[in-house]
Amino acid sequence: MLEEYIAVWANEHPDKLAVIDKDQTLTYSQLLQQVEARKRQLAADGLREGMAMPLAATTDADFLISYFAAHLLGAAVAPLAPQTSNIKLQTSNIKLQISDLLFTTGTTGKSKGVMLSHDAILADADNLVHAHGFTPDLTFILTGPLNHLGSLSKIWPTLMIGATLHIVESIKDPNPFFQAIDRAPGKVATFLVPANIKMLLTFSKKQLEQRAAKIDFLETGAAPISEADIHELCNTLPTTRLFNTYASTETGIVCTYNFNPQSSMFNVQCSMFNVQCSMFNVQSCVGKPMKNSSVFITPDGTVACKGKTLMTGYYNDDDLTREVLRDGVVYTHDQGYIDESGCLHLAGRTDDIINVGGYKVNPIEVENTALTCPFVADCVCVPAPHPVLGTTLHLIVVTRDNEPLDKRALATFLASKLDHYKLPQRFSQTDKLKRTFNGKLDRKAYCE
Amino acid sequence: MKERIRTLLEDLLPLVNFDSDFLFAELDSLGVTTILMALSEEFNIQLEGPDATPKNLKSLDAIVKMVEEKLAQNA
Repeated sequence: MLEEYIAVWANEHPDKLAVIDKDQTLTYSQLLQQVEARKRQLAADGLREGMAMPLAATTDADFLISYFAAHLLGAAVAPLAPQTSNIKLQTSNIKLQISDLLFTTGTTGKSKGVMLSHDAILADADNLVHAHGFTPDLTFILTGPLNHLGSLSKIWPTLMIGATLHIVESIKDPNPFFQAIDRAPGKVATFLVPANIKMLLTFSKKQLEQRAAKIDFLETGAAPISEADIHELCNTLPTTRLFNTYASTETGIVCTYNFNPQSSMFNVQCSMFNVQCSMFNVQSCVGKPMKNSSVFITPDGTVACKGKTLMTGYYNDDDLTREVLRDGVVYTHDQGYIDESGCLHLAGRTDDIINVGGYKVNPIEVENTALTCPFVADCVCVPAPHPVLGTTLHLIVVTRDNEPLDKRALATFLASKLDHYKLPQRFSQTDKLKRTFNGKLDRKAYCE
Repeated sequence: MKERIRTLLEDLLPLVNFDSDFLFAELDSLGVTTILMALSEEFNIQLEGPDATPKNLKSLDAIVKMVEEKLAQNA
């Protein structure tokens, strides 16, 4: 278990900084003490082995303390967006050895719980330590929500290797992010989705450039990064290793690729992840499988993954589990190919899922929710270009009796029913929606 | 000026209550970016990441003040 590493570091380097947030700093020794105290408290509250504990994924040390304490009791943790309250867990049938239960968008428009074992989490951590070169003198700056794999998974290698985790709430105010870089005694690393990279390059490029020498590596993933941003990031951070990683909640962290060729001149470690794929395909390249993973392409052209990082299955849904996970292989909806150097390239998806800034959104869920709004007669949710996110959601609505669309009322209605990342940024009105010959919504007709 | 900014931002961010005195807390990073981009373009001013502080984005009045200060720097 990951928690055993915390105990080791608390014993060997008790005064080493483990976690920093806006209110407190905890050494490994203090972190372990607080985890043990929280464990006693949770046990007294009735948490037992085999149970699942919903936990508000606040971006602070307190989340980590409860997360590790529950694991030590043998319980699984279900990190939820802090405002989420509608997920009910039947705690009696969680499989033993499940560490985390992460909720993600389903292909049917329903949230599904992905069960991760302690072994999968250790394999993910090992993949990242090996491929990205985590070292004990590193400060890893976390900026994202801890109920999603992207940021949650960076806790694992950071504490496994005995490095320091600095949690900042978000980068909507980038000043705490830059202060975290300045405060670190040595080199830093971070994970940013492409939309956040775009934000920093657009509004904070000078501040980023000033700190370039201190940023050892930056990882991105979860959504495609544009070729223009790849080049601008390489120019802004010339000596920083810049990784594009292929991961999903179901597959774990599988492949990674350093797309900054200049950085390899300054870094000898992780050389196998610096292998150059065709320069024409840098944008789509997510590199080679990491040490605990392997990938292959199915006859349908989709990516399939094997190895120790795979999920155990979906919570309370054996049918869906069998559909996705068979004979130790997770079959994804990602289309891709493997080039002659062994690097995986991604080329879109086979389903209607829309990737908004790293969050996967099923448009059917948005449409079904909008259709419960009293003045919506029909609607279609499609991807639309966005200058920062790359892609955003556009909801095209037919109103009852063709009354003028009240965008604010509809947006407020949807916000009361959906997670924030599932909310359309654009609304427009039409008098009739286009459908295919068999009556299905013709989504492609509305894609820009 | 205030109504011009309100109309511009309410159209782009229909979910956000621009009458709130806790505006920054209501915004996500996309909302902050949208505000910076829209104001930079509309008023031809240079807004940067460090301008996106809780103080500058705490209310519509604070946003108006930030824009006025940037315009004064340009003049």
